[in-house]
Amino acid sequence: MSNFVSMLLTPEFFFSILRISAPIIFATLAAIVVEKAGFCNIGIEGLMMFSALSGSLVSYYAGSWFWGLLAALVVGVLMSLIMGFFAFQMKTDIVLVGIAINMMGSGGTLFLCKVITNITEGRAMASTTGLITKDLCIPDITIPLVNKIPFVGQVLSGHNLLTYLAFLLCLLTSIMLYKTSLGLNIRAVGENPNAASSVGVSVLKIKYIAMGFSGLMSGFGGAFMSMAYAQGWSLDMVAGRGFIALAAQAMGNGECLGGMLSSLVFGFAQALGIKFSAIGLDSNLASPIPYAVTIIGLVIFAVSRNRKELKKRSSAALEKKASSQA
Amino acid sequence: MKKILALLLALVLVFSLCACGQSEAPAEEAPAEEAPAEEAPAEEAPAEEETGKVYNVAYLVNGNLGDKSFFDSAESGLAALEEAGRIEYVTIEMGGTDEDQPTWLSTLYDVSESGEYDVVVCGTYQMPDYLKEVATAYPDQKYLIFDDNTYVGANSNVVNITYKQNDMGYLVGIFAACMTVDTSIDMINEDAVVGFVGGVDSPVINDFLIGFIEGARSVNPDIKIDTRYTNDYVDTAIAKEYGLSMINDNNCDIIWGVAGNAGNGAAEAALETGKAWFIGVDSDQELTLSSDLAAITLTSGLKNIGNSLVWFFDELDAGNEYWGTEVTLGLAEGGVGIVTDKNFDTYASDATKAAVTEAQEKVLSGEIVVPTAIGDNAVDVVAVREEVRP
Repeated sequence: MSNFVSMLLTPEFFFSILRISAPIIFATLAAIVVEKAGFCNIGIEGLMMFSALSGSLVSYYAGSWFWGLLAALVVGVLMSLIMGFFAFQMKTDIVLVGIAINMMGSGGTLFLCKVITNITEGRAMASTTGLITKDLCIPDITIPLVNKIPFVGQVLSGHNLLTYLAFLLCLLTSIMLYKTSLGLNIRAVGENPNAASSVGVSVLKIKYIAMGFSGLMSGFGGAFMSMAYAQGWSLDMVAGRGFIALAAQAMGNGECLGGMLSSLVFGFAQALGIKFSAIGLDSNLASPIPYAVTIIGLVIFAVSRNRKELKKRSSAALEKKASSQA
Repeated sequence: MKKILALLLALVLVFSLCACGQSEAPAEEAPAEEAPAEEAPAEEAPAEEETGKVYNVAYLVNGNLGDKSFFDSAESGLAALEEAGRIEYVTIEMGGTDEDQPTWLSTLYDVSESGEYDVVVCGTYQMPDYLKEVATAYPDQKYLIFDDNTYVGANSNVVNITYKQNDMGYLVGIFAACMTVDTSIDMINEDAVVGFVGGVDSPVINDFLIGFIEGARSVNPDIKIDTRYTNDYVDTAIAKEYGLSMINDNNCDIIWGVAGNAGNGAAEAALETGKAWFIGVDSDQELTLSSDLAAITLTSGLKNIGNSLVWFFDELDAGNEYWGTEVTLGLAEGGVGIVTDKNFDTYASDATKAAVTEAQEKVLSGEIVVPTAIGDNAVDVVAVREEVRP
């Protein structure tokens, strides 16, 4: 047991929490902004898969991670706008569009990969791991000065460029939502589209913008998966992170800070599960830990919200009673 | 009127579905094949050359080619057989996702119904339920399923080919145990700890593991083996996390990844830390990984699905039929092996190479029987795993 505690107190453990959380944070931001605009994008998982593939392929063909990242973002945005077109203008249920994107994200990426990279032995391939070398991945950043601080430096410095960006984007998204007129419009459209359009806000435009933003974040998440976390795309590599993000969005009460914290909770749980397996906990117990934590988190969140609501209502009722008696 | 229209539409739909199912097979065939495909007793037409019967084979992939592993290996075996003029085959890729699963059954039915094929080849643990149903419906059609033994003997027209993963694991274990104390090699630390990243805690994966452990222990009885399961064959990232934890927490300097695509995550962990080597599985991963990952891949354990199919048709030509039984192929039949060129040749000392060769000979001669995690003689994997845990 002491062995286990000493494993937990290593900077490497805290470092891994941030690394595991980063793709989930991107996906959570994607979920938050569309939720603010009044709908739910369950296609984040599929968007991430498309971005992961295109990022890794373009970085290979262009020979530079920068173009790969850019391609991942562009593909993420384009795909999300296509989703938006079907959902908003063709009036398809957005949940169905999301499901379609998720299915395409699995089979379609494989298809694309086979069509585009007809270059290796065999007829095709199920991953681009064979193409991508370390220098085609997004680089890690060492923060000067901070990396000199014992422990904290080892935890905070040396992360991938995108890991830092994930946390930065939490802040920026929050500012966008609450300090800009665009954010106000997004929230207005989410709260009451009729009211928003009555004051001259184009509901359709705002919805497209929210959807595009969601695609942008998914693009970052996908790029992180294939160009920073793993070396190259492989089939189904997003492995449910897009869905976890929907839970994190709900758990975080639809706010950026809350979403970030719940992503970190998930990251913590996953890192903890891995350390548990290091001391020999059965894998069938260790690997569900993050999901169990997510469910427990959601339950706690729901219960506490219900409590608050009850309290509010009862105090309101009391006040009403008091005022009517008076 | 509306009803008739609906009926017509439904008919069109049904016919188009039938058309899809049927056209798929001949579409990939060589044009020369078309003639026998149309005639009724197809199998007799191109046969009876001096080399013996030319079998008409359908290979159903319950996934996609390009896994650089089982499916590709089987494909290469069939291609070699075709090149030698011994079979004609078509490959039908059915897709590997949950949504594709219904087509597996319908494709099996289509292929069996057509009656064109002497042998229908499929594989992996996902197929036996579908195969059992179809094999019962078509008792005259012969089927071969590789890497599965769920319903051995249930149908007298099905042969199950399985592999002695433990033989392979044994060789890899010997090799890893020799290497992990050879500190003259870059990145090898003095601790005798090696790692194993498995896909799922299941008999087949544990069969690899048990051979690996026994092989390693036969070299060094005190060796420690850190075993993790990703519970997933696709999540490369989580496999990387496990790999990092093995390297950082338990000083592993060699990791064997046995988790499909996800196993590559362990290689990435080794590359990122610069403190460990990777060993591949199923096919020669030094060929398929990118240059920097291949550089830290010492060797790969091989499951030669392709060889086993060649072996099977050899036996068939020799008059040995195995329908209705399970054949388990090990080192002796070329069903499993280990890569011994490239990095293996560069880094392994002469003593290590000698140890691997010796072990190979001993298993071949039957002097050593490697314990297994499958079947009646299965050892208690959990107990063994705990004994060697660091």
